[in-house]
Amino acid sequence: MKFNKKDNGEYELDVTGYVCPHPQLYTLKCMDKLQDGMVMEVLIDNPSSVESITQACNGKGYEILGKESPKAGVTAIKIQK
Amino acid sequence: MAEAAKSSRNKIYAVGIVVFLAIISLLYYLSAPVYVYIIAYMWFGFLFGILQQYGRFCFASAWRDLIMVKVPRMFVGIMVGMMTFSIIAVFIFMYYPERYHTSQFGLHGLIGGLFFGLGMVLAGGCATGSLYKTGEGNMISLIVLLTLSFSQAIFAVTAFDFIFEKFIKSLPSFSMAELIFGQPAGVPEGTSYHVKYADYSFWQHMIADAGVNAILIGLILLVGVYIVVVRKGFLRRRAADMTAEAGASADGGEAKTGFKDELAGFWSMISASRRTSIAAVLIGIVAALQVFSLGWLAKHYDFVNFGNVLAGETESGAKPPSSWPDETYPSDVAVRSAGRNVNQGGSTVFDPGYWYITTQEAMAAAWSIKTVGLDSHPANNQPGYLENNHYFGDYNGIPVPWHSPALLLSFGLILGASFRALLAREFKWKFPTRELFIYAVIGGTFMGVGARIALGCNIGAFYAPAAFGDPSGWVFFLGMGLGAYISAWFVNFIANRKMAKMDMDFDIEL
Repeated sequence: MKFNKKDNGEYELDVTGYVCPHPQLYTLKCMDKLQDGMVMEVLIDNPSSVESITQACNGKGYEILGKESPKAGVTAIKIQK
Repeated sequence: MAEAAKSSRNKIYAVGIVVFLAIISLLYYLSAPVYVYIIAYMWFGFLFGILQQYGRFCFASAWRDLIMVKVPRMFVGIMVGMMTFSIIAVFIFMYYPERYHTSQFGLHGLIGGLFFGLGMVLAGGCATGSLYKTGEGNMISLIVLLTLSFSQAIFAVTAFDFIFEKFIKSLPSFSMAELIFGQPAGVPEGTSYHVKYADYSFWQHMIADAGVNAILIGLILLVGVYIVVVRKGFLRRRAADMTAEAGASADGGEAKTGFKDELAGFWSMISASRRTSIAAVLIGIVAALQVFSLGWLAKHYDFVNFGNVLAGETESGAKPPSSWPDETYPSDVAVRSAGRNVNQGGSTVFDPGYWYITTQEAMAAAWSIKTVGLDSHPANNQPGYLENNHYFGDYNGIPVPWHSPALLLSFGLILGASFRALLAREFKWKFPTRELFIYAVIGGTFMGVGARIALGCNIGAFYAPAAFGDPSGWVFFLGMGLGAYISAWFVNFIANRKMAKMDMDFDIEL
């Protein structure tokens, strides 16, 4: 697992390799630490976590800016707090 | 370009899976047409795998995501699927009442459920969730399956008989129909009555088993989840939207929400994940079709339990027809049931007739222990150490894997999930780190022990009984929730410790 700040000021959380519940748990914990308006991209290779993160963000009022698959089996979700 | 090539390769692998299963099916059928019965198990498993992977259907997720990240998606999906299944199940059991049974109601369900719930959150998936995730290429889930299988087998041959004899065997088992409408007339006072489906009418089953046991209890739980998890956030957002609208059009002020808004909130919870709900309803329908098809096939081929076929005993007592195998396989039926007459159930092997997950895996683990020579299995089919117990000896047996009907369901389920994951570009080989390996082994072991104490897993001890009108399913469900809560607390504690070491501004390895 890797968390870093990218050159464009956005954050990136890489939870590939992790299985439930870790991806959704760390995503929400990291989002908690961000300030309003900040953007974080999460990289996940555990399909069920993608659904849980999407719904959890809706519940918390975070905006999903985009979802794409940079390579087979991996999903990148961009979330704004 | 490389991604496009990978994508078309995935499609070829997906087609390869279907061709592979078709060839297996053909070989079984050519060997003896009656084997269409276990081929059906395999293809129903394939369908469950596709649907589970599509809907991310996992009971661990139902409790865990509700507790840890306040996401009710899977909890809702499971309830919706179970309710659908309950209605269709009544129609089916009216035709095949002999395939209905209830389980003992008691504390073992709560304790087993607690162990199971503890395990499934640590393992990252329930018994059936781990199967579909294995199909996605997740080898952590495969470790969960292996530990789940072996821990069950070891528990079954060591502690199971003592616990079963002392605490479970004499417990009552009853259906909601019996609880509401009482025992049927003509049962002599003081005799023990085992609920029989045909003793009650269609409407009694529909009202009690589907209406009360599945739908009413399911709805109460859904309303509870809405009130505890969803309501506050939904109404706050709704009031804010209404206030903004009123402010723009009239005199402003804070808008008040009413009962209509509560209904809208409840519906938003149900419809929030279309994918899960669609999969849940389809799983309910497939599960019901499975009960119907297997019931029909067993009747058509003149047997009650597949063990009858392996032992060459027809239900009618006639000579086995030409559609049955020429040979018999006495070492594949439960040792203590071998040679029993048909009225006593005949020779049996584990053949639940519906969606079931853990027992067949315990049997496969026991078979591999037996096969590598760790258990002495006398040639004259006397019980060896592994089989001299209620679990393997009386009903389930330790058959070769290719004669184990429900194991073919598990096999089909893994491949069904692979098929869907390949087509959806979601298949990815994933291997455990040390941390995930430890979680998987501990979680799988807890699940295995819990499943045996409770006489079933999230499907056999909850989903199916709750849908079939057996109140014991809810005892397991409650235990599973308590266990999930404790494990969720533990996993959260570990995560917080890791987060405390995090530095938000620099590249870090967690």
